[in-house]
This record gives sequence, C-alpha cells and structure tokens, in this order.
Amino acid sequence: MYPIISLSVTGLLTLFLGFSENKKIVFPASIAFLLIALATAFIDWNAPGFYFNDMLQVNNTSIVFWAILIISAILIMGFSEGFERFEFAQPAEYFAIVQFSLVGAIMMVSFKNLIMLFLGIEILSVAMYVLTGADKRNIRGNEAALKYFLMGAFATGILLFGMAMFYGATGTFNIGSGVFIGGDNSFFLWIGCTFMLIGMLFKVAAAPFHLWTPDVYEGAPTIFTAYMSTIVKTAGFVALFKVLSTTFSGLQDFWWIMIAVLVTLSLMIGNIGAVSQNSFKRLMAYSSISHAGFMLLALLGDHENALGSIMFYSVVYTLATISAFGVLMVVSKERIEKGRVYEQNDLFKGLAQNNGFLATVLIIAMLSLAGIPLTGGFWGKFFVFRDAASSGLFWVIIMAVLMSAIAIYYYFKPVLLSMSKKTSLESITINPLAKFIFAITTFGTIVLGIFPWILRSLF
Amino acid sequence: MSLIALIPLFPLIGFLINGLGYKKIPKAIVAPVGIGAALLSFITTVLVYFQFKADGQTIIQPLFDWITVGGLNISFAFQIDQLSIIMLFIITGVGTLIHLYSKGYMSHDEGYGKFFAYLNLFLFSMLLLVMGANYLIMFIGWEGVGLCSYLLIGFWNKRSDFGDAARKAFIMNRVGDLGFLIGIFLIIRQFGTLEYLSVFEQAQGLEMGNISIMFITFCLFIGAMGKSAQIPLFTWLPDAMAGPTPVSALIHAATMVTSGIYMVVRSNVLYTLSPDTLEFIAWIGTLTALLAASIALFQNDIKKVLAYSTVSQLGYMFIGLGVMAYTSGFFHVITHAFFKALLFLGAGSVIHAMSDEQDISKMGGLWSKIKITAATFLIGTIAISGLPPFAGFFSKDEILAHVFEHNKAMWALAMVGSFMTAFYMFRLFFLTFTGKFRGTKEQEDHLHESPSSMTIPLIVLAGLSIVGGFIGFPEIFHLPHALADFLSPLYDGSRAVNPEFGLVHLSHSTEWMLMGFSVLLAAVALGVAWFIYVKKETQPADPSQLGGIKKVLADKYYLDEAYQIAFVKPVEKASQFFYSTIDKKAIDRVVEGTGDLTSLLNRLSTKLQTGSTGFYILVMSIAVAAILILNMGTEIADQFFSIFNAQTK
Amino acid sequence: MISNLPQDFSPILVQFLLALGFVIFTIIITHVLGPRLKSKQKEDPFECGIESEGDARTPLSVRYFLIAILFVLFDVEIIFMYPWAVNFKSLGWFGFIEMLTFVAFLMAGFYYIVKKGVLDWERD
Repeated sequence: MYPIISLSVTGLLTLFLGFSENKKIVFPASIAFLLIALATAFIDWNAPGFYFNDMLQVNNTSIVFWAILIISAILIMGFSEGFERFEFAQPAEYFAIVQFSLVGAIMMVSFKNLIMLFLGIEILSVAMYVLTGADKRNIRGNEAALKYFLMGAFATGILLFGMAMFYGATGTFNIGSGVFIGGDNSFFLWIGCTFMLIGMLFKVAAAPFHLWTPDVYEGAPTIFTAYMSTIVKTAGFVALFKVLSTTFSGLQDFWWIMIAVLVTLSLMIGNIGAVSQNSFKRLMAYSSISHAGFMLLALLGDHENALGSIMFYSVVYTLATISAFGVLMVVSKERIEKGRVYEQNDLFKGLAQNNGFLATVLIIAMLSLAGIPLTGGFWGKFFVFRDAASSGLFWVIIMAVLMSAIAIYYYFKPVLLSMSKKTSLESITINPLAKFIFAITTFGTIVLGIFPWILRSLF
Repeated sequence: MSLIALIPLFPLIGFLINGLGYKKIPKAIVAPVGIGAALLSFITTVLVYFQFKADGQTIIQPLFDWITVGGLNISFAFQIDQLSIIMLFIITGVGTLIHLYSKGYMSHDEGYGKFFAYLNLFLFSMLLLVMGANYLIMFIGWEGVGLCSYLLIGFWNKRSDFGDAARKAFIMNRVGDLGFLIGIFLIIRQFGTLEYLSVFEQAQGLEMGNISIMFITFCLFIGAMGKSAQIPLFTWLPDAMAGPTPVSALIHAATMVTSGIYMVVRSNVLYTLSPDTLEFIAWIGTLTALLAASIALFQNDIKKVLAYSTVSQLGYMFIGLGVMAYTSGFFHVITHAFFKALLFLGAGSVIHAMSDEQDISKMGGLWSKIKITAATFLIGTIAISGLPPFAGFFSKDEILAHVFEHNKAMWALAMVGSFMTAFYMFRLFFLTFTGKFRGTKEQEDHLHESPSSMTIPLIVLAGLSIVGGFIGFPEIFHLPHALADFLSPLYDGSRAVNPEFGLVHLSHSTEWMLMGFSVLLAAVALGVAWFIYVKKETQPADPSQLGGIKKVLADKYYLDEAYQIAFVKPVEKASQFFYSTIDKKAIDRVVEGTGDLTSLLNRLSTKLQTGSTGFYILVMSIAVAAILILNMGTEIADQFFSIFNAQTK
Repeated sequence: MISNLPQDFSPILVQFLLALGFVIFTIIITHVLGPRLKSKQKEDPFECGIESEGDARTPLSVRYFLIAILFVLFDVEIIFMYPWAVNFKSLGWFGFIEMLTFVAFLMAGFYYIVKKGVLDWERD
C-alpha cells in the first residue's frame, strides 16, 4: 500500500528532476526513490489488512512479492548508467515511467478486486509500450512498440470483456469468494473465466498468445527487455495465481485442461522455437515463453504449494535473466555495427578468454535457465514438476522434461561460443555498479541452487 | 570420542597431512608423520585390547546413523571382538614395521610423500575393513584397500607395464567385488540388515544347507577369491610385484590378501550353515596351493617366487577354512603375516643391496655380504617350510591335521604342495645366499647391508617368525592352545548350528605320525634343494631354454594367455561391435534423428513468426476461438438452441 | 416479468442477425450485380483538368495530435468532477480532500507539460 503512494509521488518528482540543470542527479535519485519504496513496503509487515474499500489486500505474501519486484527493478536499473548512451535520451522520463509501472505491478500482486487488477495490468502495460519505444530513432524499437501496443490493446479488450462477463454472472468484482458452476449464469461465467485467463496469459507470453514476444524483445532496448521479461512476468503470474486460486478455484475442472494444453504448447513453441535463433534477445524471448510454460505447471498443482513454487521460480528466473541481459548489455556496447549495438549470439565468442568474470556470470545464468543442478534454476524446475506431479499430470511432465533437454542445446550455444578461442572483442569495461549487480545475481543463483529452502520456506 | 574411533583416525590424519601437503611439506616431516600415524594406531590398539580384555565382551562403538532407507538402517559403527583385535594387532603392528622399513627403502624416491600418504590411506581402509560392525563398512574398506593396492602397484607410474599390472589387479578385484556386492544384497534380502550381530543371530535359527545361505556364502567367497588371489582370480597377485617391495610385504602378503580369510572367519556361522560352499572353498584352496607352488618352482624373480608362494599359502588358509578349521586357517594368517612380511622385506633388502636387481640367477654368495638380511631370510624360509619349532610349522600342521581328518586325497595333494613349498623356498635361499656371486662387478662393489631402519623390522619380524607359533600348540604337546581359547567365543554360532563343529576325532598316535611325516617331507625337500643347488651348483636356467613340463611351469601354465583369449579378446570384439554397429548405426541415428526432428519442428514453428501484426492478431483470434470451442463448444450450442427453443415456445 | 436471462435477449439477437445479414447481403450483391468499367481515367481522382501531383495526404505537424490528445486527456478528467459534484454533500471533507489530491496530480501533469514546452507552438 505505502509503496504505491511512495512510487506515485517519487515518479512525479523524478519527472521534474529532469528539468534540473544537473542531469546526472536523476539516476542516483531514482535508485534512492526505489529504495525508499522498498523500505515503505515493509511498513505493513505482519499487519495484514485491506485498503481502498477492500480493493487491495496486503499481507506478508504480497509484501514479499513487492520486495521481489522492487529489488528486480533496482537491479535492472543499475545497468542503465543513467541512460547516457541513449541518443535523444530522456532519462528522467524513463525512470519516472519505471516507477509508475511498478505501481501497476504492485497492484497486480495485491489486488482484491478485478478493477484493481485491470488498472494494474494497464498501468504496467502502457508503461511497457512506451519503454519499448524508448530508443526513439531506432526503427525496430518503434515497430516493436507499436506491435506491442496494438496486440496488447487487443488482449486488454479480451480481458476487459472477460471481466464484464464475470460481473454479469456474479454481480461483483470482488474475488474474495469462490464461484461455482450451476444456475443460469454459468455460461457467462465460463466465457468470463476463459477471456480473463486469455488476457492475462497474453501478458505473461504463454503460447499461443506469445507471438508478440520475440519481435518486441528484440526491438526493445535491452534494459527494458530485461525489465519486461522479469517484472511483467512475475506480476502476471502472481495475478494469474490469485485469480485462479480464489475466485476460479471452483471452476478448476473447467480451466485445468485448458492450462495443461497451453503449458504443453508453450513449452513446445518456446523450446523448439529457440533452437535456431541467432539473436540472443530472440533466444531469450523464446526462453521466456518456455519459462512461462514451466511456471504455468505450478498452477496445475496443489494451491498450497503453488505460490511458493511460483515465487521461487520467479526469483531464480529473474536473477538469471538479469545476469544474461546484463552481460549482453555490457558486452554489446563494445561492438557497434551500423550504428546499433550488436546483439547476435556470436557476440559472446571468446568471452571467457577476454573477460572471465563476465563469462562466468553468463555461464551460470545459462546453466540456471537450463535447470542444471547446483543452480537455482534446477530447484525452480524441481518444485514446479513436483507440484504438477502431485496432480498426476504425468504426460505434461514428460513433455516438460523432454523440452528441458532441448533447452540445454540452445542455452549452451552462448556458453560454447564464450568458450571458443577466437575473439572479436576488445577489452571490455564494466563499471563497478554492474559488477556488484552481477555478483549479487550470480551469487544468488548459486546460493539458491545449494540451499533452496532459505527462500522456499518463506511460505 | 572413544579410543576405538582413534585407531583408524590416525592413519586418516596422516594421509591427509601427507596427501594434501604433497611436495609442500619437507621430506624430514613426511616419514615421522607416516610412521607416527601407524605407531599411534598400534598403541591405541594395545590400549583398546586391555579395555576389551577387562570384561571380554564384544564392544560395539556406533559413530552415527549412516543410511536409513525404508526399513533398512545401516549405522556407521565399529565392532571390537577377538577377531578384529587380532587383525588390528597384525595390521598396525606389521604396518608400523613396514612403515619404518619404507623410510629407508624409499628414501631415494621422488614420490616419498605420496608413498607414505598411500600407505596411510591403505592402513585406514584396512582398519575400516576389519573394524566395521556391518558388511557395508567392510565393503568400504574392501574397496578402499583395492584402490590403495591399485595406486601402490602402479606407484612408479612412468612405466606402462606397471600401470598395466595395477589395472589388472584392479579389474580382477572388481570381478570379485561384484560377487561380494551381490552377496551383500542377498544378505539384506534374507536378513533385512547388515549388522554382523543381528545377521548371525538370525542365521542361527536356520537349517543347515539352507539354499539362500549357500548363495550368500558363495557370492561372498567370490569376493574373497578376488581379494585373496584364489583360482581363477589369482594372476593379478604375481603381477602386483611391480609395486615397491614394502607394498608387496604389507598389502600383498601380510594384510590385504588375507581379508578374504578374515571375511570367512567373520561370517563363520553362515559358512558352517553351508557345507557345500565349504567343500568348494576347500578344493579351490587345494588347487590354488598346488598350482601356485608348482609355478614357483622355476621362477627366477625373487619377488615372483614369494608372490606365488603367497598365493599358495593363501590356498592353505582356505583349505583350513574349507574343512571348518577356522582357527587353524586364521592361525596361518597370523604366522604367515610374520614370515611372509619378513621374507618380502628381506627380499627388498637384497634388492636394495643388489642395486635393484631382482633376478636370482644374477645373485649368489650374498651370505657374507649382508649377514643380517641373510640370517633373517633363513629364519623366514625355515618358518614357511614348516620345520619345527618355527611359526609356520604349527599353523600349517594344524591345517593339515584337520584336512587329513576331512579328506585323505586332499591331504595328499596338500602334502605335495607342502613339499614343493619347502623345495622352492630353499632353492631361493641357496641361489641367493650361497655359492658364487653371478652378478656384475659394479653390483658386487656396491653390495652393502641396509640401514638400520630396514634391518630393525627384519629382526623384529624374524623374532616373531620364531616364536609366533607358540600361541597355538597342538593338543598332543599338552600345552594350552592360546589362540583357540581366545577365539572360541567367535564360534558360538557355528557350534549352535552344527553340533559336530570343533570336535576332533584323530587319535594322538595319528597326529604324531602326521606331524612326523610333514617334517620329514620338508627335510627331504631341504635336502634335495641343497643337493641340486649347493652340492651340484646347478645354475638357475633361463626360462626360454627350459623344455617340457618345466617350460609350462615357468610360463605359469599359460594362464595369462588363456585369460587373454577367453575373456579379453571376446570383450574387445564385443566392444568393437557395440561401438561400430550398435552405437554408430543405431543409437547415433536415434540421437541425430531427435535433433533433425527438433529442427524440423523449429522451422515450422518459426514460420508463425511473420512479423505482421495483423497476422499475429489473426492467430490469436483463432486461438481464442479454438479455446472457446474446445472448452465449451457444447455449452455454446446448448445456449444457442435454448434461445430458439425459448422463442418457439 | 423483468428478467435478464440469456434467452430473454433473443429478440435482440434475431434483430441483430437480420440487420447484419442484410448489410452483408447488400454489399455482396452490389459487387456481383453492378456493371463495372475499369480504366486509368476512370480510376483517377479527377477526370479532367491538370494532372494530379504529389500525395493526396499532406503531413500535419505532430503538435496538432499532441494538443488534441492533451485536450482529450484533460477533458476526460473533468468527468470525475460530475459524480463528485453530485455526491458532494455525502462525501464531505474526505471527498473534498480526495478531489484536491486528484486535481493536484492533474496540475502537476499540466505543469510538466507546460515546462516541457509541448504547448509552445513556435518552438524549434
């Protein structure tokens, strides 16, 4: 609750900071604002309650997710270097939009009312549309932003339609009580449920609503690609879980098979599609689709465990993704081709020889994404498989395991390239802040790989 | 932490210091650490002995619960009883002497620290083997000593044939280990536990000749065949002489190779329950004793002779076990540990003096040059030949007496083997120490007695070889058989399952006669050897010039070649087949096919990615429609019809 | 009886289908039946006079759109004022403060726009 107010106010402040003479102040100030928001998040720790006429629900679970979201944002923004490299950059606006988007994400993880969910999704999405096109003179970025906006609007329409149907059937936007099939309104309820799920599945890039993902990920500036693949995904999954575990839990028989089929589809399209990608960002986009599939698996299981699994998975996925995109950002700025940073996989050729630290970070991130033991990714996968197994969905699990095997192939492509002898890179400069963030993400990945319970036992 | 846990802990610490600090810690510290570890272990053993002797009860010292799977609970515990305390004395006692000896013997070697580290690791593993309170800990030790044996045989790893010998030892042991492992699984299946006490207690409730016990004992014995070098898994032991001589003495004569006997004595209840296995063991032992002794007749390598002699003596021990004379078999383990360690160390001293020459055809007349070595070697030779009153006489004679009672044909064969033993040992002695020197001038100039760190162990072991037999006097001497009395509680279980166990039917006159006969045979063998090699000064023949039966013997019955054809070649062929046909043509195809299929699917799935927003939205719309229809096609239709139905009403 | 079950909307559905069907039918039938003659002259925007030049669509300054959008934005915000005005009394001071906060945010946005120079027509 407090971070929403804090972020709204500091977002505005950041906008006006942009007018100040000293442009350099924006970056540290924004990080400070995010830290303030993080601090205010814990005011409500152990003080669960409802706000705004029961529209928002705050408890320790949601506070943990707030913290995850805000910390992720801080880690990602650490790579921005104040957006000094951007041509025609407006750093203040970017930081302000990031803060506003976090307001949306926070609403998505603590809503109690569908209107709040809708508002949250829209605040986050509109912010993402703008950030995707942040690099104004980059035609690919503009294309991506427009595509994202058009398709996002379409998905929002579907979501809103679903909500309307839900309201029609139940007469309330509150998700507090479960609804059950039966009576004359069940038809509307079914349509409402399906459409709402579709709208949200679009946001988390689950197949077959994933088509925007590779294009948008590739077109957007890398830093915002990292942002949307971590924060949007985490918030989106928590929102999905909240809807499915509360109001739609009575409809489980109905959406269960649908989600199971979409899991399979996401895993297949994500993993198989990634195999031939030469662009690292497209590869990560497909990877993001497949991870959406893995996280959906958790929703199929017992709700007691699912939230913990989703939380764990989001954290390890976020850490690894930040590492991977971070390395891409640091390395790609050393190689400009045709006025753009070079973001193909073979950018990493010879990285290990050139800069062992970055190569280690990249390799550990890739291993974690591939789910190799002793990294957090392994336990993330393990927990969602366990959840799915508890509901007896063995065909989906077999599919998921097969697809993880394929995943190893494409995750190892950058790893192998980084190990090769030849290098096209000059010496790479890493600023200390980036180094610090890499240390956190890599260390976190390893620690969670060895002691998963320190995080998993939170709830 | 009790004293008991300290016994294996000292060598482990020694191993860690010397192993981790290899090439970092100064040479002057290496030997004190290594020897100190063994010595401390020995002292602790003595203390534990007094602790044990105080009340005479078996001590179980649990350290922690190790594996708990379902109903199976395996604790990491040590067991101290009569059997393990004797083994502890042998291992730490002889071990300490050999560590001391190694200080001199290995002093010029580059891998000094490595050697002591390995030796300590071996001690640790061997102690685990004999101290464990269940079969699994025994198995860990069993594998550990196998590993150390491998490492130490291949110690001089710059020579590829030494490496081959090490691998041969390892592989043959692995064959045996497989049997041992299956035996352990069968025990779990039969008894649901691996703890000795509870297994043996349950076993006492079983009938003699129980079929599953037969399988268990048989499988365990296969493990013993590998470790204790019995037919058909014995050919590794002569090759194992590639290792440094102290290793041969410690591992391949005194301790590791006797672990098979230890295992059988430990599981005596099970073996007593299974007379068929015992009969099998007895015959394998007989055959091994004869075969190895006959090969030893014409070997010219001083260590090879001793190696075949070891195989042959191990055969005698198994004969003893096979005729249910567990004490006699174990008695021979003890005396053998003394005199065979002595002989090996003596041989090492000779080799040291001869500037690394091992061929006895190049030796001769060393008596006057290296007196201490020669005298102690003679004591060892007499002891192994079975001449009274030295150690070998008592133990071997006890075995032979039991064999005579059991089966006369087997006794006759054993006597033949015994004759051959005396003959080749005295042949070895005469060729090495008497006559004229046959080596080069340089070697002769270099001849010298070994340093005291090597001669002290020789003297100690010689003393033990002389008096070691007195712990087990034959009944007819009317002196107490200390060993039998001490070990007696071990056989309570065997006595319970087989009332006949331990009863002797021989009359005193028969026993006197048997004893006299075997002494006579040994004396004759001594005489023959003296006649051939001293009187007639026959030179040891070059193996390539031998003919007929002698050639077959010198070439070890062509067993290595036979194994090569029977096992190695077919395996190589099969391996070739699996590689070129199964792997290349079948498995690789499947693997590559998976890859091809994936990239095909990939091409299809990326076709969706046209880049056109309109197309994307079309796909999404189709997906939405498909979901709606799949999910609730029937409901939609129902609704639709209900509208019209309502209308037409 | 007032009811809003799905089947109660059936007359509307029938009406909708009929209307839609008529439109589709008409569009298709005119395309099929109508006689057509295609030539370059006929497809020209102007059939006489001087040749047409350039694009029919002249680009407008992006500022038109910006100002239009900003107008819509602030215009829509005013909508919130109406329900507040109606419920002014029942909402009391709380409502008043809420509205002040809202307007303050709006004004901040307005100030930002002015400061950013979006309303400066003659910039550049």
